Amino acid sequence: MLNQIGNYSLYIALLSSILIIVQSPILLNRNNINVSGRIFSLISIQSLMIIISFIALIIAFIISDFSNETVYNNSHTSKPLFYKISGTWGNHEGSLLLWLLVLSIFLLIFTITSKNLSNKYRILTIFFQEIIILGFLLFILFTSNPFMNLFPIPNEGTGLNPILQDPALAIHPPILYLGYVGTSIIFSSSLAALISGSVNKIWAKHIKDWVLISWIFLSIGILLGSIWAYYELGWGGFWFWDPVENVSLMPWFCLTALFHTILILEKREMFHSWAVILSITTFSLSMSGTFLVRSGILNSIHTFANDPSRGVFILCFLFILITLSIFIYFFYQNKIKNNFAKTYIVSKETAVLVNNLFMMFFLSVVLIGTVYPIFLEVLNNDKISVGPPFYHKLIVPFMIPFLIFMAIGPNFSWIKDKTNRINLQQLLFFILSIIISFIFLKRVGVSYLFSLPLFIASFFLFFITIRDFSAKKTNLSQKISHFGFSLFILSVLVNGVLAKEYSSNMKVGDERKFLNKTINFESLIIDESKNYQSLQANFKITDKNTSINLKPEIRVYDQPQTITSEADIESTLYSDNFLVFNILKNDGFYNVRYQIKPFMIWIWISIILISFGGILSIVKKNG
Amino acid sequence: MKIKILVLAIFYLIGSFNLSNAANSEKVDQISKNLRCLICQGQSVYDSQSDFALSMKILIQKKIDEGKNDEQIYDFLKSKYGEWIVYDPEINKNTVLLWVLPLILFVFGGLLIFRKVSIK
Repeated sequence: MLNQIGNYSLYIALLSSILIIVQSPILLNRNNINVSGRIFSLISIQSLMIIISFIALIIAFIISDFSNETVYNNSHTSKPLFYKISGTWGNHEGSLLLWLLVLSIFLLIFTITSKNLSNKYRILTIFFQEIIILGFLLFILFTSNPFMNLFPIPNEGTGLNPILQDPALAIHPPILYLGYVGTSIIFSSSLAALISGSVNKIWAKHIKDWVLISWIFLSIGILLGSIWAYYELGWGGFWFWDPVENVSLMPWFCLTALFHTILILEKREMFHSWAVILSITTFSLSMSGTFLVRSGILNSIHTFANDPSRGVFILCFLFILITLSIFIYFFYQNKIKNNFAKTYIVSKETAVLVNNLFMMFFLSVVLIGTVYPIFLEVLNNDKISVGPPFYHKLIVPFMIPFLIFMAIGPNFSWIKDKTNRINLQQLLFFILSIIISFIFLKRVGVSYLFSLPLFIASFFLFFITIRDFSAKKTNLSQKISHFGFSLFILSVLVNGVLAKEYSSNMKVGDERKFLNKTINFESLIIDESKNYQSLQANFKITDKNTSINLKPEIRVYDQPQTITSEADIESTLYSDNFLVFNILKNDGFYNVRYQIKPFMIWIWISIILISFGGILSIVKKNG
Repeated sequence: MKIKILVLAIFYLIGSFNLSNAANSEKVDQISKNLRCLICQGQSVYDSQSDFALSMKILIQKKIDEGKNDEQIYDFLKSKYGEWIVYDPEINKNTVLLWVLPLILFVFGGLLIFRKVSIK
């Protein structure tokens, strides 16, 4: 029953999509017709149908309707309700339906909120967005239908990957998708603006909100993924330069560059073409991300779905979209008003260009590092791994000038800054940063090649962004985001330099000395939970005056049978105590890993601050 | 097949060590962070608790005890398991573009900006 409802509503949505695509070129030539007529009702019907099908899938998951193949493959009656619901998008078919849902709802929001813009621009945006929606509908209906019937109806499902049964990971995909899919509107509207010759201030002002919204969701989505990796994957890190993590970072770099460019376009009517190119690139990266993750060609912990035929479909679709946009770009490029206003070297405009240069560099490092091994294997049959050392070697040296530039750049005036002014205050902060970094690194005893300049640059940015709170030139949301970023870099660096780790094999009753602390393996109990068995350990960590208890767990899930380690983390403002243990083959012994991670919580707080700056900017404008 | 035999051989090696008291030295940590755990999905040897990773750590410790330096250990592992095991690809004719392409793009972009802005 639910399967039929889901299927039929998707077919109706497909029909509306085709109707809109066929009608829009006709409406385009009639200037006096308002979009809010027939096309608007079609879009509303389409969104409604997709919402219905999505709700049908959620209900199928909630009531464990195993006549649905997707539910059978990804759910189990013993799962808690929350994970039954999050199971809806914890799999390939469901996550694509979620993509589609967001695509259509965003289009509806776009149509409602763009009423005061030109008809031609709106219809064209709807047209391109519908092409994307059509592609996804075809993809879902013919290669990854979430409403496949299963007969005879099984009594029990096969379960959801236990590693995905986690609150942060349950909401991570929807948030990330809102970011990814938000870029589709940017893509469609930039092509529409290009064709209708309206790449200008008004377009910039209108699309800025979409850029910000996508950027905020993407940032929070990445944050949730990192927090999850930190406490669930059991190695105490939050970023591994894993291909799937990289895939979410690439559109982030692009969106950050685009946002800064859009600001210039809005204020000074410059960099029109570049804004359009960035808009197209951002969406292509989001789509490629979905393709890379879904096709299973990446070797990664995240690839929970892989099927080559699906990969081929997305690849073809991606190829069509990119080719189409390149053609449109070169065909209509001459419509762009190119503004050759003079750009002086010391000006806000140049600062944004340099910001874009660095963003594009970081993007290219991550992009090339992620896809190069795939191409090399296909062409040469050589398998290589590109991991953290590669990214650190290429990114760290460029981070130093980038951070210094980020400190100075935002304070430049528009058009032309007084070049011959020596900023005494900045100089003082710089000297202060040198002294602090030098003393800090000397005391810690670190002597890597880049650590001193890197610390100097990040302290400098940190001081300047704090000072900027009293400056008048920039707005509050920018100050918060930039300060958040400097805090982020500094926390990551301090955390990296000061983190301490101890690993040993212990059995119950063992005691180990580490630095000035004693680690006691006090007890181990077995506990039964609804859908797993757990081994709960109790460790006591004592130093001179304090003691804390950490209770990590090993969980044995039965549906499907999997063992996971749950770290126990005690967070304070200064430092995290992280302890995780694993089963060893030797009887009675467990591998215990204890880590002290200073300023860990500030990494999360700083990313929240970065995103908050964006939220504030939207709220202030519309409130 | 080759890898299977190797893994088996290493398991045999573990037999001669006493796992229970081995706290890994810092050097082992440092090297194993740069190695891919071949049987895991996107984890380093250092991060993984799989049998393969544990035996790798013992193997590295053994090599250190034999007096081998980092370079020799990496070379030894590469000759056994192939380039795939190291996360830090060396620069050779296959990987030169991987390392140089981002830098070329940066220089190219920099020149573009330099041409666009006027210095005066």
